[in-house]
Amino acid sequence: MTTEVAIAPTIQSLPENEKFPPSRSLWGDALLRIKRDRIALICIGILSLYSIIALTCQFGWIATPWDKVVGAAYQPPSFSSIELIFGTDLFGRSVFFKVLHGTRIAMSVGLMSSLLSIPVGVTLGALAGYFGGWVDDLIVWFYTTVSSIPNIMLLISVTFVLGKGLSAMYVALGVTAWVGLARVMRGEFIKHKSREYVLAAESIGAGHLSRIFKHILPNVSHFIIINLSIQFVSAIKSEVILSFLGLGVQGQPSWGVMIDDAKLELSRGVWWQLAGATFAMFFVVLAFNLLGDSLRDALDPKLKH
Amino acid sequence: MKLSPGAFQFNNSWNSFFWNFFIFGCFTLALAACSRNQSKEPANTLHLVVEAKLKGLDPILAEDRYSGTQSAQAYETLLQFHYLKRPYVVSPLLVEKLPDVSADGKVYTFTLKKGVLFQDDPCFKSTGGKGRELVAEDVVYSWKRLADPKLTSSGWWILDGRVVGLNAWRDRASKNGEKHYTEEVDGLRALDRYTLQVKLTQRSAQFLYLITMPFAAVVPHEAVDFYGKEFLNHAVGTGPFRLAEYHPTSKVVWVKNPTFRKEVYPEEGAPGDHEAGLLADAGRTIPFADQVDVQVFVEQQPMWLSFLAGQLDISGIPKDNFSSSIGPGQELAPDLLAKGIRLIKQPVADVTHLSFNLEDPLLGKNKLLRQAMSLAFDQNTFNEIFYNGRAMAAQGPIPPGTDGYDVNFKNPYRQFNINKARELLAKAGYPGGKGLPPLEYATLAGSSGRQQSEFTTKMFAAIGVKLNTNTYSWPQFLETIKNKKAQIWEFAWGGDYPDGENFLQLFYSKNASPGQNDSNYRNPEFDRLYELALTLPEGKQRTETYQKMVRILVEDCPWIFGSHRLSYILAQKWLKNYKPNDFSHSNYKYYRVDPRLKK
Repeated sequence: MTTEVAIAPTIQSLPENEKFPPSRSLWGDALLRIKRDRIALICIGILSLYSIIALTCQFGWIATPWDKVVGAAYQPPSFSSIELIFGTDLFGRSVFFKVLHGTRIAMSVGLMSSLLSIPVGVTLGALAGYFGGWVDDLIVWFYTTVSSIPNIMLLISVTFVLGKGLSAMYVALGVTAWVGLARVMRGEFIKHKSREYVLAAESIGAGHLSRIFKHILPNVSHFIIINLSIQFVSAIKSEVILSFLGLGVQGQPSWGVMIDDAKLELSRGVWWQLAGATFAMFFVVLAFNLLGDSLRDALDPKLKH
Repeated sequence: MKLSPGAFQFNNSWNSFFWNFFIFGCFTLALAACSRNQSKEPANTLHLVVEAKLKGLDPILAEDRYSGTQSAQAYETLLQFHYLKRPYVVSPLLVEKLPDVSADGKVYTFTLKKGVLFQDDPCFKSTGGKGRELVAEDVVYSWKRLADPKLTSSGWWILDGRVVGLNAWRDRASKNGEKHYTEEVDGLRALDRYTLQVKLTQRSAQFLYLITMPFAAVVPHEAVDFYGKEFLNHAVGTGPFRLAEYHPTSKVVWVKNPTFRKEVYPEEGAPGDHEAGLLADAGRTIPFADQVDVQVFVEQQPMWLSFLAGQLDISGIPKDNFSSSIGPGQELAPDLLAKGIRLIKQPVADVTHLSFNLEDPLLGKNKLLRQAMSLAFDQNTFNEIFYNGRAMAAQGPIPPGTDGYDVNFKNPYRQFNINKARELLAKAGYPGGKGLPPLEYATLAGSSGRQQSEFTTKMFAAIGVKLNTNTYSWPQFLETIKNKKAQIWEFAWGGDYPDGENFLQLFYSKNASPGQNDSNYRNPEFDRLYELALTLPEGKQRTETYQKMVRILVEDCPWIFGSHRLSYILAQKWLKNYKPNDFSHSNYKYYRVDPRLKK
């Protein structure tokens, strides 16, 4: 009682414009931090560029058709035309076009596999953390089992079952990549479920589903964003590895396939396919990693110190 | 042996697996490697390579050339292909002379050499480890092993249906088990200690060729009993070398067999052999090498680097190292010449092809569609890209140098002509490919296989035929084709012996999948000619029959015929007496290292 009395006059005595200091939401705060972070802005720029390339390739606005013969086999890079800027491959196709279309494949794999794995990870993590007990035991057992299988082995076996091709790869990556997110979600839900705002919700009659999705989830959703950036990178890398192993996309240009070609070509001095694919991959992976770090700093300030 | 050119096909048994490597890498020979750090090895040690891990040394299971070649260093067959003579002829190995054949061509009498000893081995308990003499009963025993259903030999086909009473023995053996070996087979008898009589069910021009294959090698029953399941990892034969070390995934070491009988280097060869120095050692006692180190190299680049470092005596040339090793005039690059390395070119008795599954309702019934696709495939460009021009476009299944090959014959459906292809496709009912569903195309996983399938897809896309590519590992691939699940696939076949029959049997209806006729081709007229040809002796009539069969095939188009390849092999200057041989397996005994040239 006494504290209330002591505070109330203080607020009232402040000038009108300072009475309610601008309070920022979690997201507003994060946005501000990101805006101040130059590296994060550059990364967002790079990723936007990749996304635009991926979309324009998807709609056939640029670099189409990618399999057109533009010169002799293994023509080295030259500036005589845009098609020859990265040279040509075994069949005389433009390596530059292949790199651009590889971007389309990589970005779509990252996006689609994230769209598949996030709902799975979030739901399982939330249920385990929220309910505890045997539900928790079951889900923890399940994801521990999945994560005990070496990731690349699991991916290979899933692609063997589903067959090869792009959509199989989306699913393969989607069903193997949710473990990390589920683990984080479970921890957060355990932490949040006994907090006052959840108890308050319960006391006004909110059901389990309402508490999970309406009350707790928005408060831990920034982990999904952080996880997304990590997930994207690992999906892109997995796509390249699978394609390199001959289990990935068929009949379409992919960075992994280009690196696989380079394995044979390097001994004859043809380095441009390798260079094109690895540079393209380098920038997108680096941008996602740096952006992931920045997002974590921005959205989860406690971790910063 | 089945091969894979991206996936090519080989024959039955023999060679199946390694052909795969062969084609991918455009290597043509599996040879051997080295290890410099062996301090105590004799100066004349051979350093050779095998390009695949070994399955074992039991001859009846040696279905790929890698294992077959190794087992042939210790185990010998009655006959062998002459090392130097071309065209290939069969010459005696464990027998005194070529067999006497009865007038009807069905009874063969072999006279074994006397004094041929099995290598000393603990399995010969009664003599305290001393190897005993090889007798005719050993041949009977070994061939019964080949027929024994429990041992599931992949080489049974060489005797299947050919020897009187052997198939019946096999059927009974599956019921009665081990004791069955004592039961006599009418067509397979030891008349005395050194005389073997074989009765055939019908005249066969191929019989002598077939028994040169390692499957038919002679093994002592003592070793089989003594080692049991471990027999696979031992070698107790009569051959020039005995096994010193055996690591199937990395290395095999052979040493000279001290009890080897006196054999000499051939005194006759083919024209040009004398000039090439291949007859310099004529009449000298073999083997020359005291030791043979055989290194397993699965990857081509390390093998190539070992060869360049002088640690290997022979090597093939990987496709991507071709332009740096071979000049525009197909001559050896100066840096290799300066090292004294020799380039040996030799055509290989093989054929690569794209097979159509004729049991598929779409492809099987539409000959015009198959012909159109055949016309649309540009083989010369393919050979340029994938074989560095080391191949010639095939006009039919039979390669040059093999009976039945017609040098003047041009296959009307294999002359690349995109307009005519479009015309035929329209006649087939799919103008511009309209209405034609994508074809399921099977190929092998792997970088070269993928590149080849990209090329194939592009070729057919030009006339509007779409392919759905499915990649498989080698065993999966064979399984898919055996089960008739694919519509079109790449394959290759490497000859087992120099006779067109070995290639034409790939189209005989009774050999349909899971047999060797992978495209499931059926044509009564072709079958009739095939059965006729089997009974014909070598000569004009048989050659003409073969050629007639080829023309039937060309018109029916069960395959898109690919190429006959040319192998480029490099040998170090210190390696003497090296001559590639498609069909013989125990060649190490002829190779000689000159240590003076090795410094």
